Amino acid sequence: MTALIEVDHLKTYFDTRSGTVRAVDDVSWTLEKGESLGLAGESGCGKTTTALSIIRLLPKNGRIVDGHIRYSGKDLATIKESELRRIRWKHIAIVFQGAMNALNPVKRVSWQIAEAIALHDNMSFDEAQGRVVELLELVGINPARKDEYPHEFSGGMRQRVMIAMALACRPKIIIADEPVTALDVMIQAQILELLTKLQKELDLSMILISHDLSVIAQTCNKVAIMYGGKIAEYGPAQEVFLDPQHPYTQGLLRSFPDIYGPRDLPPWIPGQPPNLLEPPDGCRFHERCPLAFAECLVREPPLYETRPGHLASCHLRAPSN
Amino acid sequence: MAYPSSSVVYWFRRRFGISEVRREKLVLTMTRFREISSAVVHHRMGGIGVAILAFFVTMALVAPLLPLPNWDASLFPSFQDPSWAHPFGTDQNGRDILARVVWGSRVSLMVGFLASVIAGVLGTLVGLVAGFWTGWRDEVLMRINDILLSLPWLALLIVLAQILGGQLSLSVIILTIGLTSWNFTARVVRAQVLSVKERVFVERARASGASGMTILRKHIFPNVFPLVFANTILTVAVAILSESTLAFLGKVQVGTLSWGVILHEAEASSAIINGHWAWIVMPGLSLVTVILGFSLLGYALDEILNPKLRER
Amino acid sequence: MSAIQRVILRRLRNAVITIFGIITLNFFLINVMGNPLDLINRAPNISPTIRTDTCIRLGLCGPDGQQLDLSQRFVSYLKDFFTGNMGTSFYWKGTPVIDVILPALGWTLLLIGTSTVITILIGMVVGALSAQMRGRPFDIAATSFGLFFYGMPFFWLALIMQLSFTRPQFGLNWWPVFPSSQEYDFSIAVFSWTKVSNLLSALYHLILPATTLALGTVAGVALVMRNSLIDVMTEDYVVTARAKGLPSRLILRRHVLPNGLPPMVTLIALDMAFIFGGAYQVEYVFSYRGIGWVTITAINAFDFPVLQFVVVLGGIAVVVANFVADLILLKIDPRIKVA
Repeated sequence: MTALIEVDHLKTYFDTRSGTVRAVDDVSWTLEKGESLGLAGESGCGKTTTALSIIRLLPKNGRIVDGHIRYSGKDLATIKESELRRIRWKHIAIVFQGAMNALNPVKRVSWQIAEAIALHDNMSFDEAQGRVVELLELVGINPARKDEYPHEFSGGMRQRVMIAMALACRPKIIIADEPVTALDVMIQAQILELLTKLQKELDLSMILISHDLSVIAQTCNKVAIMYGGKIAEYGPAQEVFLDPQHPYTQGLLRSFPDIYGPRDLPPWIPGQPPNLLEPPDGCRFHERCPLAFAECLVREPPLYETRPGHLASCHLRAPSN
Repeated sequence: MAYPSSSVVYWFRRRFGISEVRREKLVLTMTRFREISSAVVHHRMGGIGVAILAFFVTMALVAPLLPLPNWDASLFPSFQDPSWAHPFGTDQNGRDILARVVWGSRVSLMVGFLASVIAGVLGTLVGLVAGFWTGWRDEVLMRINDILLSLPWLALLIVLAQILGGQLSLSVIILTIGLTSWNFTARVVRAQVLSVKERVFVERARASGASGMTILRKHIFPNVFPLVFANTILTVAVAILSESTLAFLGKVQVGTLSWGVILHEAEASSAIINGHWAWIVMPGLSLVTVILGFSLLGYALDEILNPKLRER
Repeated sequence: MSAIQRVILRRLRNAVITIFGIITLNFFLINVMGNPLDLINRAPNISPTIRTDTCIRLGLCGPDGQQLDLSQRFVSYLKDFFTGNMGTSFYWKGTPVIDVILPALGWTLLLIGTSTVITILIGMVVGALSAQMRGRPFDIAATSFGLFFYGMPFFWLALIMQLSFTRPQFGLNWWPVFPSSQEYDFSIAVFSWTKVSNLLSALYHLILPATTLALGTVAGVALVMRNSLIDVMTEDYVVTARAKGLPSRLILRRHVLPNGLPPMVTLIALDMAFIFGGAYQVEYVFSYRGIGWVTITAINAFDFPVLQFVVVLGGIAVVVANFVADLILLKIDPRIKVA
């Protein structure tokens, strides 16, 4: 069965004054219909860049150097901008982190949602108002407030507005980039529940990006753990979290305080993420890995399949071991 | 750190010396200052600005050492056009214009700097008071500010000039310009003080019992000072402009020499009708170039201190 | 009363206080300049009746011939101001002050109006293009020009323009030549332009001064517009707009410009005093008989009756301009609620 989206050996680099930053360096994953994939990892590991690369929303100095992004028979990495614009929002929509600034402060909320509908579904702004009301109700906002401005809403409500706006054109895929990071815990729970509910009701496929593993564990059925611009581990969420195969994932999970466990500071992973201007030779994680050995310093580990559908890029998981 | 053996100095330092903490802070400030300075100089436009200003200031300072004819003596035939002997020509009294431009820079620059110091100090004080002690003090100061900002400053200056006799001495000019240019600085400082006040750490300082003066000194001042400094660059340029405009309108004491005065004499001698272009162009070009230097400096500082304007 | 109305009322109150302050300041400054009575007293051979008459006419004495003190004069000054009875000019012998000032005001408004329209149009377009083509040759050239003209003294620019365009240069007979305003008859009522020849003549004489004023101000507008737009372009909602699939020109029109405009309006409002100052200088150099020229001439001639009212006018105009700008800002930026 062909996946909905297939990211194939994607490489996205940024040109800066100090050199070329290899933000995404050979990343591959797939998203099936109705599935939700979590992209997890530390800040700067390339998860947001991967997502932005899918719809080519990179800043001026970013470019897709290599790889393919297959969707609906097209390669999103190379199609013309005019064609891509038709796919944006209508097929793949994105909810940004910190929707505080992601909404235009001088336009009413109803106008902003209607703008997307008017653009893709060939309606006038007035005709779209009916759908705007539907969408607001769907995300739990009182439709009477539709003509207010973004600054009149609280942070959590603005995030809901962004979600409503993302659903406006009935997309097939939603990318949620740190959708709950800037919100407090109570609201986090609400928004996550909303996302899960919407995903089921509307048969959406979702890519959820977060550095918070608990968020991903709660909402996703597949997860890709990224480190230093590459994928460290990839597989069904349950399996990855219950039986992590990569030392990095193991370290991450170990650093979570156990609510039932002893009141000690949990072990954290020492060191810093690698400098993506000049990544280290061999395995990107070897400098911080407690299990590193000679080969790790020299050869980059490919993704080994430890169980069907569960891959880890660590030499420890090479078949001969 | 080892103190010199002299006991007097030792006692002096113990009594009035800088404590370790403060010394550290001073070092940090100096490092930051040095960082910013080097960034400015390396910035393409900032570097040019600094170079321009350095050139003019140096020229002004070493003027007595330069091989120029006396700027006040009518030694030469009048109304000469530019030539090798007189690169800028001569004026209505037969004085060499190049010499006058070089010497005139001393007054123009000095008045600019001094006046802007006055304006800066006054503006900062007003801004601090208005921003820190809001309430009626704020309202009153802001209304005065509005009034002065709205009056066409030129008319104000000329009227002041007339009050004081029609011919102003340099010190009076410096004072008047200083007293009328503080508005913008006050506004800017006030806004900054208000925003700093909002920040949590001031609340914390209050909660820990720090007095108003301490908060002022420790939290507000360090945040306001860099802003004032950047703003002063603008003020100096404006002050130089103001002086030259006043001089052009003839309100400066007879016998003073500044770029504006040269232009005044040019206009009064119908230089335009007679086509003596160098007389008009050269002093003005010096003015424009100096102001350009300040603008470039300000632009560079803006880009350096405001991350959004840098390349994304 | 809604919140917006309260804000407007507060701004209005501030404007009125400011204007009152300007009037008061102006009065006291002028009168410190010298007591006109001394001039009269010094002149010999004036009969007491004429002396008293002049004194009364100038508003320096009450109807009984007694000299009024400063506060009494202030009250009567205010009365005169608002009733339009401003006395007669010294310098323009016999002309009522109001007939000196009002036409001049008209000419100045014409000058500033034309120049500001040109400035805003060109400045905004250049600024917007610069922001879009950031770092490219157009931007570098425009920014360099902008910085060069930014702090230029208006009087010098006016001198250069006069030098360059009132006579053919370099021996070329196709060099554009425009008139200085010395030969123009300013006594033509400002808005008597039903006669087309009047209108054309007025515009022809307006070209040099207006261009000069525009040149001096366009740089600032373009630079601020550029920086403001660049600021906006890095905001998240512009990325959202791109994600929605909007083409760049729609993004510019609907998202970038509406957010980039408020700082522009603020800037132009703040610059009004500066523009007026520039207009004064331009008028002086070109002998263009607007308020600026009248003010400077009156100051040099110690013409108190005129001075009492003309300096204030500039200030009032600026306050009004600022108030209008505030109103515009309230309309276009929904974030402004509290003063």
